Amino acid sequence: MKNVTGDLQKNTDALKKLVPAEDIYFFDFTSDMGTPFTVVFADPITDKELLGELVVRPISHYGGPLTAKEIGKNIISPEMRTERSLEKLAAEVLAGNPVLLWEGMDEGIIVGTKKVFTRAIAEPSTDVAVKGPREGFIEDVKTNTSLVRRRLKTGELQIDFMEVGRRSKTNVAVCYLSGMIPSGIVEEVKKKVGEIDIDIVPDSSYLTHFLSSRPYSLVKQVGTTEKPDIFCAKLAEGRVGLLVDGSPIALTVPYLLVEDFQSSEDYFVPSYRATFTRLLRLFALIVAIYLPAFYVAAQLFKLQLFPQKLLLTIAGAIRDIPFSPSLEMLLVLLVLEILNEASIRMPKYVGMALSVVGALVLGETAVSAGFVSTPAIIIVAFSGIGLYAVPNLIEQTSVVRLVMLLVAGSIGTYGIILTTGFMLLYLVTTENFSTPLLAPFSPMIGRDLRDSVLKYDLGSLETRPRAMRSPNKRRLG
Amino acid sequence: MTKICKRQIFFLLACIAPIGKLIVLPTVLAASSANDLLLPMLAHVLLQAAVVFCALLLGKRGMGFYELLENTFGKVLGKAVATLFALFLFFAALLPVLEQKIFVQSIFYDTLPSLIVFAPFFLFAAYLMSKPLASYGRTWDVLAPIAAASLFGVLVLSVGSADYAAILPMGASGVRGFFGGTMSAFPWFFDGAILLSLLGKYDYEKGMAWQGALWYLAGGAAAIFFLATFYGIFQETSVQHLFAFAQTSKYFSGISVLGRIDYIFIIALAMVMAFYCILPAQAGVDCLLQAYGKPRYLPTILGVVVSSVYFFISLFVDMKFTSVLGAVSQTLFWIFPVFTVALPPLCLLLRRKRREVS
Repeated sequence: MKNVTGDLQKNTDALKKLVPAEDIYFFDFTSDMGTPFTVVFADPITDKELLGELVVRPISHYGGPLTAKEIGKNIISPEMRTERSLEKLAAEVLAGNPVLLWEGMDEGIIVGTKKVFTRAIAEPSTDVAVKGPREGFIEDVKTNTSLVRRRLKTGELQIDFMEVGRRSKTNVAVCYLSGMIPSGIVEEVKKKVGEIDIDIVPDSSYLTHFLSSRPYSLVKQVGTTEKPDIFCAKLAEGRVGLLVDGSPIALTVPYLLVEDFQSSEDYFVPSYRATFTRLLRLFALIVAIYLPAFYVAAQLFKLQLFPQKLLLTIAGAIRDIPFSPSLEMLLVLLVLEILNEASIRMPKYVGMALSVVGALVLGETAVSAGFVSTPAIIIVAFSGIGLYAVPNLIEQTSVVRLVMLLVAGSIGTYGIILTTGFMLLYLVTTENFSTPLLAPFSPMIGRDLRDSVLKYDLGSLETRPRAMRSPNKRRLG
Repeated sequence: MTKICKRQIFFLLACIAPIGKLIVLPTVLAASSANDLLLPMLAHVLLQAAVVFCALLLGKRGMGFYELLENTFGKVLGKAVATLFALFLFFAALLPVLEQKIFVQSIFYDTLPSLIVFAPFFLFAAYLMSKPLASYGRTWDVLAPIAAASLFGVLVLSVGSADYAAILPMGASGVRGFFGGTMSAFPWFFDGAILLSLLGKYDYEKGMAWQGALWYLAGGAAAIFFLATFYGIFQETSVQHLFAFAQTSKYFSGISVLGRIDYIFIIALAMVMAFYCILPAQAGVDCLLQAYGKPRYLPTILGVVVSSVYFFISLFVDMKFTSVLGAVSQTLFWIFPVFTVALPPLCLLLRRKRREVS
C-alpha cells in the first residue's frame, strides 16, 4: 500500500493512476505564500461551492506553518481527518470527499463536503397508516440514521457503520440499543454482513439473502420496514436494524412471522380494533391462499363441500366451460398475476387503460364468451384482495397459493392438508439468529401472545417480547 | 429445538392424543359394548393415565429409553429390547395409518380415487420420520389449539342432535361387553409407550408426572364426551358409522343453509391426525437411532424404508381394512398391553444410577 510522500507531483500522479476516471478533477492552486496545493475531488458527487468556500478560499490566503494540524485549523469543516495511504485517499475521493494535498507534506486532508442527493422525506407507499407518523425512510443512510436518532434520544442507541460491496462500497448502518440485545446477536449480524463478498449492493434486499439461515427458502427470514417509527419500535423490542445506503427499506433481525400481521396503526387505535383487524388480516390471508384450492378440490372430488343452493348456482355457471376446474382457476389466477405485474411496471398514463382491459375485456368478456365461469372470477378476485391484506408477505403467499391450487387440482383436499402439514413442519423448524420464526405460537410464549394476532392494551404489554430474549425485560412501569 | 418442554407434552396428551381415538374406535366400541361403549373407553383412559404417570416419572432419571435399557441390561440386550420396542411401535402405527387412509378416501372424495391420492401421505410420513423427535414439541404447540378448537367445534355442532339417554342403562351389555370392548380398544392406546421414546428429550420438572396424568384424563374426558355424543346420535346404528368425528356434526340444522361448515373442523382434525397417526413410527425410528447411533442419513433412510413398507402394506390391503381391523383388534390385540401397559411401569424397576464406565 503506497503512502503519500512530500512530493506533490508524485502524489497526484499516483492518485491519477488509482482513480483515472475523467470526472475526477485535480484542482491546483497556490497559496499567497507560494505553496502549491492540489484538491482532488469527484466532480459529480462533491459540493464544489462548499469546497471553494470552506477549503480553497481560506487555504489560498493562509500563510502559516505547513503542517496538517495548522492547515486543518483553517479549513472550516467539522468533517475532516488526515490520511497517509494513497489507496484510502482515493477511496474517499470516490465516496465524494475531496482530498487536499500540498508540497512538502506526507499526508493528505480529507474534507467532508460530499454532495448529497436526497428526495424529501415522504410517506412510504407500503406501511401506509391513517393514524400515526407518516415519515418514511429515504435512500440516504445519513438521513435515515438521523430519523432514528431523532426518535431514540438515548446513549444506548448504537449505530455502527460497515462497508459492503467490492465496487459499490455501500454504507450499511447496524443499529441497536445496547443492553437490549441478547449477547452474540450483534456480533453475528456484523459477522454475516462483514463476510458478504459481492460486487455491488443496490438495495437492502441483497443483504437478506446473507442474513437468512435458509437463504434459498421461500420463507421470509428478515423483517423489513420503510417507517422509522416501526424501525425504532423493533429496536426497542431487542432487535438489530440495518439501514443500507441507497435503499429506503430497513431490515430488522431476528424476524418473527407474526410481525407482518401487525401494522404500526395497531398501536395507535384501541386494542379491540387492533385485535379485530389483525384477525381479519389472518383470515384474509387464509382465505386468499386456500379458497381457490378448496373451490377446485370441491368441484373435482367432493361436491358435498358446497351448500346445496350454491352448488346449483356453480353447476349452472360451469356447465359450458371448456376447461377443467383446476385449469380454469389456474388461468384466471395467472391472468391476475400478469395484470398485477403489468400494473406495477407500466407507465402510469396507461394504468387506466389496463384497468379497463383487465376488468372489462378479460373479466366480463371471458365470462360471456364462456371461457371462464363467474364463480372462478369472483374467487380469484376475493383471493387477490385477501393477499394484499398482508402486503409484506405477498411474494411468498402468492407462490403458496399457486402450489395449493396445483395440489388441489391433482389430489384434492387431502393434498391441501398434507401440503399445509409440510409447511407447518418447515415453519416450526425454521430459526434465524436462534429465534424461532413461528414464535410466539411455536414455541408458545403466553406473554408474547398479547401482541401477536391479538393486541392487548398498552398497559398490559409491560415486558419486551420474550422471543427476543432481551436482557432488559421490562418496558413499562 | 433439542428439548421438548413440559407444556408441549401436556398438549400432546390432552389435545392431540384423544383425536386418534375418534375415527374408527367409537364404531369398534359400539360393536363390542353397545351403549356401554363409554366404560371400556373410561377403563383405557384411566389405565393409560396411570401409565403416563409412570412413563413421565421415568423422566426424573434424565436418561433416554435406550440409555435406561443399556444401563441395566448392557449393550446387546439393551439393543435387542430397543429393537423389539421399535418394531412394536412400527406395528402400532399401522392401524392408524390405514385408518387415516380409509378415512381420507371416504370423507374427502366422492368417487373412489386411485391410490395416488393417498400416496403423498407416505412422502409426508418419511419427511416426518426423518426429523428428530425432539423437534416435534413445536408442532404440538400449533396442532394442540387446532385440535382442541376443532373438536370443540364438532361437539358444538353435534350435541344438539344427540340423545344422551341412549347410553342408559349403563352396564346393559354386561361384563362380556365391557371386556370385549376393552380388549378390542387396546390398539388405539399407545400413548404411554410413545412417552417412553420421549425420555431424555425433556427435563423433568417437579410434579410433572401427575400433572401429565391429569392432562391425559382431561383429554380422555373430552373423548368420552364425544363418544357419548356419537352414541347419542346414532344409537343402535352406531356400528354402521365409521369415521365418527366426520359423521356426528352433519345433522346440525344450519348445514342446510351454510353447507358442510363442519368440514372446516374435520379438515383441521384430519391434519392433526396426519401428524398423530405416524407418531408411533417416528418414535420407533427414534428408538432405533438411540440404539444404533445417528449417522447423518440414517433418519432419512429409516423414514423412507418404514414409509415404503406402510405404502406396500396399504397397497395390498387397499380394500380389506375391516379384515386388518379385525386381525389387529381381535386377534393381535394382546401385543399392545405388553408394550403400552406393562412396559412403562416395568421400566421403573430399571437401574436408577448410571453404571460406572471403566
